Amino acid sequence: MAEGPASPGGGSHESGDHSPRSNVREQDRYLPIANISRIMKKALPANGKIAKDAKETVQECVSEFISFITSEASDKCQREKRKTINGDDLLWAMATLGFEDYIDPLKIYLNRYRDGDTKGSAKGGESSAKKDVQPSSNAQLAHQGSFSQSVSYTNSQGQHMMVPMQGPE
Amino acid sequence: MRQAGAYSGLLCGGVSGRTGPHSLPLARIKKIMKKSGEDVKMISGEAPIIFSKACELFIQELTRRSWIMAIQGKRRTLHKEDLASAVIATDIFDFLITLVSNSDSHETTSAIMEVETVDFS
Repeated sequence: MAEGPASPGGGSHESGDHSPRSNVREQDRYLPIANISRIMKKALPANGKIAKDAKETVQECVSEFISFITSEASDKCQREKRKTINGDDLLWAMATLGFEDYIDPLKIYLNRYRDGDTKGSAKGGESSAKKDVQPSSNAQLAHQGSFSQSVSYTNSQGQHMMVPMQGPE
Repeated sequence: MRQAGAYSGLLCGGVSGRTGPHSLPLARIKKIMKKSGEDVKMISGEAPIIFSKACELFIQELTRRSWIMAIQGKRRTLHKEDLASAVIATDIFDFLITLVSNSDSHETTSAIMEVETVDFS
């Protein structure tokens, strides 16, 4: 147990030469580096390479991102005396913390998931309201105003919003 | 045609519901969420699903911005220093600044230690 405070290379336990970081149950703290690497590659041109230290840094950043958003959402739940962090809390937290560009893609993603998953029980107004969001335009920033609204009446007025959307088809 | 825009990324994950290929493991995401604080006790089922996509968007944005830094340095390999530059240059990544500047990379740590040793002597 003669580990100096700042000697990262002294990993005598866990037999792994996996990384120089202090890997105290690393699989609990980070997402798998292979998945992260795959996503990173998708964002780079074909001739782009990624150093190992970059992958590991992104791995740490992603965990930090999750904690950052979750903490904000958790605070909101506490203020509103709710016990469960739900999807809308996370979307709200992301919008609050500057990631509003993620909201629309996430809503689309979530609604697709809900449609496939629960066969209608969770189909709120959001899914139909967002049908007009096209990948071509960047004008969805204008939709942000509707974000807080749609959160609040997801359950109550969802049915109403579906009616006009079915008409034009 | 593999014209992978942001939108096709949406299509390839989650369309088929629970069995759909999330690009990141949901159980792991949930674990990390629970580590965020004492108060995080209950998490709705869709929260990790949102994060699986949000993390993907986050990783891609971070990678793209870092790549710009690598290109500016006339390199084609992404390094940690590129990430650090991108984080510093991007407001919404402010929460990562301490992480990229003093996590235990060899260079940063040794550089800091050198400074400290100099101060001591």
